[in-house]
Amino acid sequence: MKRIHPLSGVFLSFLIFASASFSFSIEQTELPKTDLPVLITSCGQSPGPVRLKAIFKKLDLEYEPKAYDVVEFLTAKDLKIYKDVGTPFKTLIIVMGASLKGMGAAGISIEDEIDRVSELMKEARQHGMTIIGAHIGGMKRRAQGATVGDNTDELSIDAVAPKSDLLVVIKEGNADGRFTIISQDKGIPMIEAEKLLDLIPEFEKLFKK
Amino acid sequence: MSVHGLHIRKCSFVILGAILMAFAGTSFYNSRHLREPVVLSPGVTQVKKLSDYFPGIKGTINDSNIYILEGTEPGGTILILGGSHPEEPASRLTTWILAENAAVEQGRLLVVPSANRSATTVTRLGGAYPPDFTIPTPWGGQKFRMGDRWSNPLDQWPDPEVYIHYPSRQELAYVDIRNLNRTWPGRANGTLTEKTCYAMTQLIQKENVDIVIDLHEAELQYPVISTIVAHQKGEDLAALVSMMISGSEGFDIGMEYSPKALHGLSHREIGDHTQAISLLLEAPEPFLDATRGRTDRALLLEGKDEFVLRAGKHGLLFEKMDEDGWPIDIRVGRHCSTIIYILELWSEENPEKAVVARKIPRYAEVKEKGVGFFLRDPTKEDPKNVYFE
Ligand SMILES: [Zn+2]
Repeated sequence: MKRIHPLSGVFLSFLIFASASFSFSIEQTELPKTDLPVLITSCGQSPGPVRLKAIFKKLDLEYEPKAYDVVEFLTAKDLKIYKDVGTPFKTLIIVMGASLKGMGAAGISIEDEIDRVSELMKEARQHGMTIIGAHIGGMKRRAQGATVGDNTDELSIDAVAPKSDLLVVIKEGNADGRFTIISQDKGIPMIEAEKLLDLIPEFEKLFKK
Repeated sequence: MSVHGLHIRKCSFVILGAILMAFAGTSFYNSRHLREPVVLSPGVTQVKKLSDYFPGIKGTINDSNIYILEGTEPGGTILILGGSHPEEPASRLTTWILAENAAVEQGRLLVVPSANRSATTVTRLGGAYPPDFTIPTPWGGQKFRMGDRWSNPLDQWPDPEVYIHYPSRQELAYVDIRNLNRTWPGRANGTLTEKTCYAMTQLIQKENVDIVIDLHEAELQYPVISTIVAHQKGEDLAALVSMMISGSEGFDIGMEYSPKALHGLSHREIGDHTQAISLLLEAPEPFLDATRGRTDRALLLEGKDEFVLRAGKHGLLFEKMDEDGWPIDIRVGRHCSTIIYILELWSEENPEKAVVARKIPRYAEVKEKGVGFFLRDPTKEDPKNVYFE
């Protein structure tokens, strides 16, 4: 039998310790606090918020009176009202990516949406809310998957992602590394999932504590 | 030229014209009168006619069959529309699979393979489309009419200068007055296409339908593709179906909202004007792409096209396109699995309105065995169990 160098054990345990403390540090210092209840809206009126609602439904969160809510046209004023009536929300999720123009008659401009969401984010900051920027629609909600010359998806990403506390993205929509770059540049932690279903365990970690 | 020579010339043109007319006419006649058999699944408990719900459609080409599969346990009712746009063959073929195979344990499934039967009897005028196509089966093959997006002008003519949609008064493209997915919720004293939608709206109300699923296919250059278009009443269901399928069925399907200001479409008007939730499913069909090459049966069924492929390389498509194309089995399989998920997830959430069905093949099974595997040989059946579309 080969003799094991007495130091190798020490080295191994050092490695284990180092890696453990490394992942520990990511968990501790990088992820912002994500508390219930959660408000969900979009920047661009895509169906993203309803899709997130389906994920939250699967989480079976126990919170009175309501663990999460979807408000399509959520405004800064709404946040004030929620606070005044004593139901302050703790986390705001904004789904990036615009609704499809191919079907026409979306009836709203991306400029209006960006104005609304910028005000909303400012107000959320004042209330100490954590802001999560989510991109869950894959390439269909990126300029690459839109009609040539249609950059509304990218405008919505520019308005939300760099000012978020946490990015949650589905891999396909980050194929060109757009969110990875924002995350690294701005030091914003990012959770990347393969499929929408894979967000269930991720959200479980964030919200089911 | 002498008067005599002129006569000969005129006569030969008339004869040549008559010969061409005879050939074209025979082709048109044959394709309009091609009989497409439906062998009733043992699960079919009743076959009704659209005119049972609106007599105004009786005696017209659009008095379509409604195959009713009823379970022994009461539950909800789900209506599946095929052939709103017959040139999207995965739509009709999916309804064939349902009518010939499905068995319902709880609730009811209503299946309409020819929502716009008139549109199944014509192809794109001047488009040199194939008049029909054949799906290979273990017993040979079954021939279907190719069909068009619009009702046959023989049945509804002429088109108006402008088409004002009823009742929204929205102005739509004039030709879309023959487009069944622009004439919802229909009009009792309107055109044939409007009357057809009116009859189906009556059916939806009288049968207390909970969900209408309208099956379609789309060109890859159109952004609304590989998706569920949902009326707001069905947005939670669509979101759930999209999520569950994308995680487990081997293909992805997205979801889009039905635009509130766009009228005449099933996903908007059925939800607005009846108690039912309306969902529309889109599968990818390269045959419909404007940049396609040869428009033949192979393209229709295999979905392979070098020019659409090239459009994809230039980033002009909204769906993947590679050398494998989009074969009909994949497209029908997508519709089958999506229907299965809609039924299951709806039933889970609404147990008293559940629709529990068996023997609907899933995506993987249709992909592996082919659509033809699920079509039944009409010559081997008791003629009373064979209906024609
Ligand atoms: Zn269609």
